[in-house]
Order: sequence, then C-alpha cells, then structure tokens
Amino acid sequence: MSDIEAENSKRDIILKVKDLKMHFPLRQGMLQRQVGAIKAVDGISFELREQEVMGLVGESGCGKTTVGRALLRLYDPTDGEVLFHKRDGDWVDVAKLNRKEMKNLRKEMRMIFQDPFSSLNPRLTVRDLIAEPLVIHGLASGGEITARVAQLMNAVGLKPAYMGRYPHEFSGGQRQRIGVARTLALNPRLIVADEPVSALDVSVQAQVLNLLQNLKDDYRLTFIFISHDLSVVEHICDRIAVMYVGNLVEVAPTDELLRNPRHPYTEALVSAVPPADPLIKMERVILEGDVPSPANPPSGCVFHPRCRYAQDICTREVPPLLEIAPGHSARCHFAEELELQGVANVQLP
Amino acid sequence: MQDIYEAELPSEVPNEDDAEENSDSYSQLVWQRFSRSRAAIVGGLMVLMLFILALFPEFFSPYDFYATKLGDSYIPPSEIRFIDVDGNFQLRPFVYKSELVIDPVTYQAKPVVDTEDPHYIHFFVRSWEYKLFGFITTDLHLFGLANDEVRAHILGTDRFGRDLWGRICLAGRVSLSLSILAALIAIVIGSSVGVISGYYGGAIDNVIQRFVEVVMSFPELPLWMALAAVIPKTWSSGQIFLVMAFIFPFLRWAVLAREVRGKVLSLRETDFILAAKEQGAGDFRIIFKHLYPNVLSHVIVILTLMIPDIILAEAFLSFLGIGIQEPLTSWGFLMKSAQSLETLGQNTWILTPVLFIVVAVLGLNFLGDGLRDAADPYSNL
Repeated sequence: MSDIEAENSKRDIILKVKDLKMHFPLRQGMLQRQVGAIKAVDGISFELREQEVMGLVGESGCGKTTVGRALLRLYDPTDGEVLFHKRDGDWVDVAKLNRKEMKNLRKEMRMIFQDPFSSLNPRLTVRDLIAEPLVIHGLASGGEITARVAQLMNAVGLKPAYMGRYPHEFSGGQRQRIGVARTLALNPRLIVADEPVSALDVSVQAQVLNLLQNLKDDYRLTFIFISHDLSVVEHICDRIAVMYVGNLVEVAPTDELLRNPRHPYTEALVSAVPPADPLIKMERVILEGDVPSPANPPSGCVFHPRCRYAQDICTREVPPLLEIAPGHSARCHFAEELELQGVANVQLP
Repeated sequence: MQDIYEAELPSEVPNEDDAEENSDSYSQLVWQRFSRSRAAIVGGLMVLMLFILALFPEFFSPYDFYATKLGDSYIPPSEIRFIDVDGNFQLRPFVYKSELVIDPVTYQAKPVVDTEDPHYIHFFVRSWEYKLFGFITTDLHLFGLANDEVRAHILGTDRFGRDLWGRICLAGRVSLSLSILAALIAIVIGSSVGVISGYYGGAIDNVIQRFVEVVMSFPELPLWMALAAVIPKTWSSGQIFLVMAFIFPFLRWAVLAREVRGKVLSLRETDFILAAKEQGAGDFRIIFKHLYPNVLSHVIVILTLMIPDIILAEAFLSFLGIGIQEPLTSWGFLMKSAQSLETLGQNTWILTPVLFIVVAVLGLNFLGDGLRDAADPYSNL
C-alpha cells in the first residue's frame, strides 16, 4: 500500500481543483426572475496525479456528475479554479478558457458517459460515432479514419468488421465499448468516467471495468471515476473522494477509506457494501431521512440531520475538510474522536 | 506518453467477406416497417398513380386540352363498350358515335347513339403533337380513335368542349406541384424556426414562441382569401402560381415550428448531444449532424400530412375563382362551372375532379400515417 502511495507521490500533478462551485439559478415567473440557486457543487478542492484513478462516490443527486461536467466545461462553473497540466507542460485554468482554447483542450480531457443507450446518436454508424472526434479536430481524413477506427475498435475489444452497424444492434456492454473507443480516439490523458458501468448488468460491469483497467495501464491514463457504488470503485481506484450535497466529506486512499472511515457518512456507505466473506458479521448503518435539497442545505454540517453522532456544534458550525492522516482528510468535527466501523478485510489487487 | 495509434495495426481489417455484416441502413428499416402496413402501401400507390398522371398529362390525354371546340360543349362521358348491339363480345373496346339532340319538348340535350359501326379505341396511337417536359417533341398517346370525327371523351367535356379527362390530368400537375411546393416552403421555414427556438432556448425561444402563438391564432381562411384576392389579375399565370405557393405556408409553418421545437427541446437534453459538445462539436455540427437527422423523420411525416390540407385549401380557393387562373388549371378550378346549379344539374360529370381530390387526400393521409409508424424503426427494438 505504502509503495503505491510513494510511487504516486513521485508523479506529477495533472489536475488541481480549487474551491469549484457550480450553482444553477432557480428562476420563476414570466420574467424568469432568479429566486435562488441549486448549489449542486459548493466549493470542492482536490488534486490528481498522473495515472492516478480517483473515485468520486456519493448518493444520486449529491453533485458528482455535475463535478465531472463542470471539470470538462459542459457546464460553466460558477466559481473556482480547475488547473490542468497540459501535455506541453503549461498550466491552464479550464474554468476560464474560451471556446476555441477549450476545444483544443478536449483532446487531452475526455469523458465516458453513463448511459450507453442514450449517449450514442442512433442515426450514426459505429464508424461515424468513433470517427466523429477525429473529424471534429481534423486529425484524420479519408481512409486514415477507417484505419484508426479499426485500431480503436480492436483496442476496446470490438470486431472492426462491425464498423458499419448501428448502435441499436449492440448490447449494453458493447455500446459502452463504443463509447470508450470514442473517448480514446483523441488520445487523451485525463478521462472523467461518469458512472460508466452503472447502466450495465453485473457480469458485463466486470468486463468493462477490466477493460478500463487495462486501458489505464496500456495508455497511462488518469481517471476520475464517478460512481454511486463503492464495490465498483474499490476495484479500480487508488483513492476515493466521498461527496455529500455538493461537498467532499472524506478523501483517502481506497483501502484506508474502506478500513478506517473517519466520517459518519462514509461509514454508512461502507457498511452498505456486502463483505466478501459471509462469515463476517457487520453492523449495517441505515441512514434516516432523505438527502437535503442542494437549493436549501441545512445549517452547519450538511450531514447533521442524518448523522447518528450529531451534537450541538454540528448544527451551527460548518466543519472544515481537515487532513487527519497523510493523504486522508475528512469534513467532520469529530473525525479524530469517533470510532467508526470499516470493512474488515479488503482485498486489493 | 504512449500513443494509442502506436499500437500495432489490427490484424483484422474489414474485408469483403464482412460486407454482409453491415446492417440495414435507416431507410431500409423504415421500408421494412412501412411495407408491413397495407393501408400505407395502397396510399402510396394511389399517390404514385396521380403523380404519373400529373407528370405525363399529354400522354394520357387523347385530345389537346388547350384546343377549344365550342360545338362539343358539355358532352357527357362516352360509354366504352365491349359488347355491340347484337350482343357479340369484342376484345377491343369501342364507342358508338353519339350526337346531342335537343329534345323539342323539354329543350334538354340528349345523346342519340348511332349504333351502325363501332369505333375502336387504339392504344399507343399517334395524334396531336406535344413537347414532353417542354423539350422532347412527340405525338404518342396512351389511347385514341382512328379518325377524329368520332371522339371518345371518357369523362365528358367542359364548357369549351375540352376533354375533361385530359384537363384533370393537367390540373393534377398544378394541384400537386403547388401543394408540394407550398408544403416544402412551410417545412423549411417551420423546421428552421423550430430548431433555432429549441436549440438556443432562453429569450430567443420565448420571443419566437410568442410570435408563433400570434401566427397560430390568426384565422387562416380569411387571410388566404384576402391574399389570393389581392393578386393582380394582370400577372402571368406563373407569377400567380408562385404567389399562391407562398400564401398557403403563410401560417402553416407555425404549427410545425412548435412541433419541431418540442422535439429539439427533448433531444437537446439527451446524452448524445452532450457527448457531441464534449467532443468539441460546434453548434452547426450539432444541429445538422445530430439534431436535425433525428427530427427529420417527424418532419417528413408532417410534410405528407400537410400536402392534402393544402390540396383542399387550393381547391377551395380556385373553386371560388380567387386562386389559379387560366391557362393554368387545378382540380378546384375545373369545378368552377359547377357553381351554377343549372349547369351542375344538367352536367353532373363536371364534378369528377372531386374523385381525384379524394384519392389524393386519402392516399397522402394513408401514406403519412404509414410513414409516421415507420419513421422510428428503433422504437420496438
């Protein structure tokens, strides 16, 4: 474990996110007056090293997809910095690029979409789908396109012979491979994978996860892996960041987070993962209530209405994200005092 | 950093054997589903038939439909016979010479049939000369009689003694082309406005939609009539035709703009549009490569359903005499003389263009319904 960490820390930082905020205005009435804002992402910061896989987990609606989209400027962030270390060595603030500069940067930062059924235009053949980024960025033309599409299809385990088919003729797993091939087409360095396996059957999930793992090793990719499922994330991620209502509540290396969670919310998430050994008895932490609305988050710690350890201070003061151990931070007033339950035996690859 | 393209070239490159692996294209899938519906096929055939008539009216008409022959005014349809007066069956259809004789008591014109010798109808005969598509000179016709003394008017004649069947074929050309042109104009305007409104959204959408509401609340018929009535009669028939083609889409585009906008609004939020943005595609590419092809099937359906509407509206205006003018003619215009009850009472066959309008409207509606069901072949896959 410490080897991995040591190795990681030698690598260069590729992405620095500082206090990223994404607020969506709430409008009402004929004049579309702004009556409030949905604070989907409310000030998150993290760093990512090259070839690292960071998992971003949380319940649905916690803002993890919004983070991914804001990083890639599919949404324009309200505030904050997204510093990206480009291939040529320069640092750029993704949040402030204009359209043309952003288009250039899209060669280095790509996204894999969640739903392989809706993310492929039904009117285009697989060849056109995979070739589209090449055409948009003018990277290939004529017969070269076909050759490259064939290479990409091979790389993701699809038969290039199926190039002329339409997406509706493929299974979910195959479609997601098409999506991955399209993402790889521009030879990116950072990939934001937005729940790439959550729409797939469990048996197919493993195949796609293995594919991503292999691609990561072969092409030295850096991943932000967004998921709501800890058991998916634990296989592929070096580090996990837990999100709750637009905030990061805990960031730690994968096995550290699973064994030794320091935030009550992480504890609840971890307890939901069934242990690999049926003999192990774990107490299931069941959270009461619903996720609060990001338009009107609770005072103090956003988690306090559902936290079984909550005390007075939690309703009043917002806890900071503090580093409690090297590489392990948590946003809880009692992070160092609580005895929280983790997973007994985690098998890491 | 390793490059994906530095990897070895795939051993498996598509070859000819794999050609059949290529799947059915979108149009093939649509055809498969379309051909399953019998009504749609019948509708398509009806429309196809009318198109052929309208494309080659000179070929189908045995007599020059521009040449007036006042002596032949309002001749009732000739009876096509296979059995002669003696009861013998003849393989070749024929007509008997018939003349209109005024009844001395009632002053009604009554046909008197001269059954002496049959006048056979010949097929692919050569008679009056015409220019096919305006430049190929020919005199070939589908059918005709050997001499011009006896005439076979299968649908009778109009007031000026012109063969009504030939006139109907000719009128089909104007009725169909005018309504198709008008519907196309409506489609182009409507879908452009709809795509812009739906794609850009926000204030642009708001302004466009309020304008569309105003347009849609306009009374259609009075506006059409007013616009058609102010066309100067001194204009050439071609000019009048063009202006008419712009009058009908005047309000029609609004409904389409609204429907296309709705479709675009829902498509805009789909992941594949987001994925296109993520790839760095510009607005132009997103609209024409991703949005419009997915709206197009819907637009084509609306097109086929809008044409019959315009055929009816044009027939109505022309019947009232405020539409198409001579020398052009349309189905509605042919029935103009039926406005007089007296003329209609004695010459009921002048209403036969109604049949053609009915066939056209029904055929296009069947076709449109079939297309609507077939347009989305992925829906139950």
